[in-house]
Formats: sequence, C-alpha cells, structure tokens
Amino acid sequence: MRTTIVKIHGQTQPYDEHKLYASIYAACLSIQTPSGEAEVTAKHVVKTLRSWLKDKPEVTSHDIRLKAAHLLNTYNPHAAYIYKHHGKI
Amino acid sequence: MAKQKYDFDLIVLGSGGGGSVAALIAVGAGKRVAMVEPGEMGGECPNYGCVPTKSLLHAAGIYDEAKQAQQFGIRSGTLTYNYPSIKAWKDLAVERTGTTEGKRLYESEGIKLIEGAARFISPHEVTVNRRHISAEHFLIATGTHNFIPPIEGLEEAGYITFKEAVNVTRPPKSVFIIGSGSVGCEFAELFAIFGSKVHLSDITPRILAKEDEAVSELVREIFEEERGMNVLTNTKVLRVAREGLAKRVYYQQGPTEKSIKVDEILVATGKLANVDIGLENAGVEYTPRGINVNEHMQTTARHIFAAGDVVGPYNYTHTAIYQSRIAANNILHKQKIAADYRAVPRVIFLHPEVASVGLTEDECIKRDLRVKKAIAPIAIIGRANTSNVDKGFVKVITNEKGILIGASIVSPRAGEMIHELTLAIQMGLNAQAVANTIHAFPTWSEAVRIACSKVAKS
Repeated sequence: MRTTIVKIHGQTQPYDEHKLYASIYAACLSIQTPSGEAEVTAKHVVKTLRSWLKDKPEVTSHDIRLKAAHLLNTYNPHAAYIYKHHGKI
Repeated sequence: MAKQKYDFDLIVLGSGGGGSVAALIAVGAGKRVAMVEPGEMGGECPNYGCVPTKSLLHAAGIYDEAKQAQQFGIRSGTLTYNYPSIKAWKDLAVERTGTTEGKRLYESEGIKLIEGAARFISPHEVTVNRRHISAEHFLIATGTHNFIPPIEGLEEAGYITFKEAVNVTRPPKSVFIIGSGSVGCEFAELFAIFGSKVHLSDITPRILAKEDEAVSELVREIFEEERGMNVLTNTKVLRVAREGLAKRVYYQQGPTEKSIKVDEILVATGKLANVDIGLENAGVEYTPRGINVNEHMQTTARHIFAAGDVVGPYNYTHTAIYQSRIAANNILHKQKIAADYRAVPRVIFLHPEVASVGLTEDECIKRDLRVKKAIAPIAIIGRANTSNVDKGFVKVITNEKGILIGASIVSPRAGEMIHELTLAIQMGLNAQAVANTIHAFPTWSEAVRIACSKVAKS
C-alpha cells in the first residue's frame, strides 16, 4: 500500500521516499556532516519512517516532517533543527 | 446543530466504552454521528479485557471452590476440567455482550459506522482509508496498546499478552509473568488455579504496587501459600532466550542474576495511549501517558474531546463510560459538567476479590494528609465463620473530621462491598454514618460497618 501525502492546502501526492532521503541528506550536509554519515543517517530515517507508514494510507506532509525530525534528532540533533526549520531560516 | 458545513456533527474515534456511550447519547439528541473503529467492535473490554478474563476467572473460582468442597462434607469423584470447554464458555460470554451484533445495533440507532483507522489531517477533518470526513466536534476514544519493555531476546523468544492469554487452548505448564499489576495478578491466579507453575515478577518492591500496602502483603501471602506461586519482587528481567520449545528468563534480584526455564512468558507491564492519530494536525496536545484534557474532557482544541483509556487517569470501562457521558453532555450543552474522580471503585477479580476506592494510605502520606484509619479483619464476622474464610480485611481511611476518603477491601464479594464506601465517599459521609447503618447478619458487609465504627471511635 502506497501512502498518500496530504499537503498543506489539501492537495495530495504519493509519498516519495527519495524526496525525504534527499532532504535529510541535505540537512546533514548543511551542518558539515561527512557525506558517508549523512547517507547512513538518511537511510536510517527513511527506513524507520517506511515502517511507521506501513499501516497508514494517508498522512499529512506535516506528519512526515514531524516524524522525520523526531527520528533525525536521535542521530543528529543539529541537522534535525535545520531540517525542521529550513523554511524559516 | 452544525449548519451542514461539516459531514457530521460528531465523529467518534473508537467504539469502546469511551466512544460508544457518547455516540449513542449524541444520536439520541438528533445529531449526525459517525463512529470510526479500526479493530473489533466494542474495543478491548468485551473482546480481550474485562469480559473474557472475568468469565475465565469465574470458571477458575468454581473449580477452586470445588477442590475445597470436602471440608463442607461434599464428596465427588475425580475433579477435573476441560480447558477448551472453559474457553468455549468464555467465548459465549463474549458473544453475549453483543459485540458481534454491535455494528448492526449502532447502525439501527442511526450511527454511521466506518471501519478503519482515523487520522486527523486538519482540526475538523480526518482521513479513513483515504476518505476525508469532517465534523463540528470529535471525541477521541482510541484506547491503549500494550507496552512491551525492551528486553533482549524477548521478541525472538516470543511472548503473549492478555490478548493472547484469554485465548490459549490450555494453560501453560509454567509461565513467567512480567508485571504484577491487576492484569498480571489476575492471569497469575487464573493459570495457578488450573495447575500452571506461575512465576510472578515485578521491578517494584511489592505486587499490586498501586494498592494499599496491606493489600499487597495479603495477596502475596495467598499467592505464595495457597496458590504455590513464585513471587519475585524487586526483580528486573535482563534477557530472554529460546531453549528448544521452552524459554529461559534471566533476571536480576538484588545483586544476583538467576534464570528460570518456562513454557510461556506473559507480558503485563502496562499500556500506552493510542495517540499516533495525527493529533498535531488538529492542535491536540498529548504526552506519552495520554491526551491532555480539562475537567470537561475537552482537549487543547476546544471542539475535540477525549475519553477513556487514551486519557486516563484510570484504565477502566466504568471510568471510560463516565467520561464519555461527560464529554457527550459538554458537546451537546452549554452548561458544562466536570469529571470528579474522588470515588472511583477499583476491583481486581482474585479469590478473594480485592477492591478499593479513593485514596490509599500511601497516597495520604504523599499528600501529607493527617488521617485516621482502621482495619476490620474479615475473620471476626459471622459470614467468615459460616463460609470458613479466615483471610481478608476491610480498611477505611478518614480525614481528621472523620469524613471517609479511602478504603481497601480483600474479601469474597469485595467488588460488591466497595460500592457502599464509594457512595459514602462520593456523598462526603463520615464513617459514623456508615457505622450507624444497620447491616444484615451474616453478610460480608458487616466488616465495612465494623471498620467504620472503629475509625469513628479512634
């Protein structure tokens, strides 16, 4: 079952794992994390999120952002902060 | 009434006691109501909780009494049991609660039932199986799920929780129970009566740690002396490993590490609230213990209410129903009513039963309350003589003015006896008022009168 993402104005789109991976990876790199570590972290977050989404047909983009930031915080709190607030910075 | 701006006036998440009562009240008041249920109709209580466990414990109680019948001059041939038949009895009791008919019942009342898991996508909208439905008000009654402690090897070795324990086809030859709260103790008793070797463990210094210390001590004595259980308090389970078809549990008690080989492991270490439902999208605040509500059962989003186990502070069907009624009133009427938890009866269905209400002595000490207390042993009353019971007591606690504020009972029929004291606490009665009330001879409730009389004189 592929999860659908409900965006802030109500439009929907299929969940894209690559997009999440890229944003986590970018957040890690933005605070000078070595690329290898950034890759491993992004993989971990994407994998855990995949399992969280397994029984969820539809979630909001806000849900994804919160959950991913929470997971990223375990591995890299500074990157998590950047990921969570990158739109505001 | 919603101005058709939303699909429904009220959407209830969960069909257990916390949800269904409010749904029925609201639909009775002419509201357009939907109820969303991801699991079995009726929730935990009728399917896996109160109803099946009490049915099994009833059978266990009869078996246990029959084993002791000889002392009353009753003779029988070989006494035995057939567990599949006991399970069939339990299934009948579950079926009679009407959960299987539940869907039709609710629909006949005019409630729209939606099967699936709901998730908030905005303050007034949830998604269920990708279908978006909106409502003016919501009631969250999503209950809890088991907390499984992170014990090395537990997942690999396998374990059961109360959900599987009510459906075993025969009691395990030996079982290690992790957690000695009411669930752990009830299954410990059930399996011990049917011949299992029970090891009951807890990290706390005493079993039934939320109850009065006198209750814990007596129940432990009964478990060890009469049921032959191995009670392991101050015990931390370190790891679990499979050993053929059996399981070996490694635990630490004080400075020493020990291990026990058992057939089954039952995890009864408490529950966690089901809050992964997109609450952030609706502005509902929560903690891992549950959803934050005010005394009107209203969450931080004013149009969203919550009731039942997902809220706490008690995980009982009767408190869920109580909260659901309050939520329904406050959704429907401007005149709000508030929840009052001074007199919540709590019953653990052991033999003898354990029941309590209000504050325990420990809680009084923690709150620095100056109290008076008295204990009436069950053995001194006439009914104990005619029934040959010598273990049990009624303990009552009053404030300095003699107003009843708490009680604990260990006795046959304690679950019925506690309601006299529940009413007294609810109505703010003093112990003398209960002591002055005529109690029938010879009944177990005479011990309530004696305990109240003692505390009133102290």
